Amino acid sequence: MWLTIIFLIIGITLGLLTDIRIPEVYEDYLSIAVLAAFDTLIGGIRSHLEHKFDDKVFISGFLTNVSLAAILAFVGVQLGIDLYLAAVFAFGVRLFQNIAIIRRILLENIRNARLEKNSKN
Amino acid sequence: MRKVIIAFVSLLIGLMVAILFQSNQQPEDRDTRDLWEIRTELRDKQMDQQNLYDQIREAEQTLEQYQRQSNEEQIETLKKSVEQLKVKAGLTEIDGRGIEIAVEPIFKESLDGQAYPTIPPELLYRLMNELYTYGATDIAIEQERIIDVSPIRVVNGTTYVNNRPLPPVPIKIYVLSRDSQKLLDYMQVSKVNDYFAVENLEISYRVDYHLTLPAYNHPTDLEWIEPVDSEEAGDS
Repeated sequence: MWLTIIFLIIGITLGLLTDIRIPEVYEDYLSIAVLAAFDTLIGGIRSHLEHKFDDKVFISGFLTNVSLAAILAFVGVQLGIDLYLAAVFAFGVRLFQNIAIIRRILLENIRNARLEKNSKN
Repeated sequence: MRKVIIAFVSLLIGLMVAILFQSNQQPEDRDTRDLWEIRTELRDKQMDQQNLYDQIREAEQTLEQYQRQSNEEQIETLKKSVEQLKVKAGLTEIDGRGIEIAVEPIFKESLDGQAYPTIPPELLYRLMNELYTYGATDIAIEQERIIDVSPIRVVNGTTYVNNRPLPPVPIKIYVLSRDSQKLLDYMQVSKVNDYFAVENLEISYRVDYHLTLPAYNHPTDLEWIEPVDSEEAGDS
């Protein structure tokens, strides 16, 4: 988990230092891709905490989620339907669920640690 | 291996977030004018200021006159003001020197013949804009005086000025100007001549030292006109 946060910070710093900008037209796609990537990342953390992390699932999930979200947004723009809202909704709900589960697992861990401490005393 | 993948994906996400963040930041508007442009603007503003001062002084003088004078004199001053405003608005006859513009048809020797040329309103707009740009003060198209709210438009294929149909060409346009020779010089090399030629119309200019422009004699409909509430300073 720490690794994730550290490299996230490194990535953000790198991005800010390189001063890359993308055209406004593609901002929608990138934003939806970022959301998908966050979803994958949080999902990865959750599965890591649940001890069933699989790197193949993780990497394939990351790639397909990001590209699927971008394709959905693209199709939506072409058809004049705000399809990216569907992606925002789906990823948003999953994000919250995953964060809730992570929180529960962490709380459980803390409680277990305390119980162990108490029982030792 | 697992850690490398996680690290790589995190790095990628971080990069994406940073790029998105940067793309959403509006680039700041920088002042890229050079010294000359700023100086020109400063001079324009100073002229605006001077104009405003002049206007204020004029108004104050009128006010003072009102206050100092007796009742009858006040009415006299009021009448004078009204008269001045009427002249300004184009509601009186005015004479002076200026140029006379003759618009005549050009006939080409084409086999299939050609329609009799008419003046579309766009051409008149263009001509009048050019005239005002180069220092025209008053314009009359044939016997129709052009004022600030004069309509020029097409009604059923005929060009109407001041809600009266324009007679077929040849017509005359009278323009008053403080410096008619300069206006004439400008107009003779103006692009407008070419635009008229495209419509098979020829314009010729002539300085006239004694022109009389008719008054605008239609009711002015100011129902939909409201004063502007901006603080813009202009010399109008």
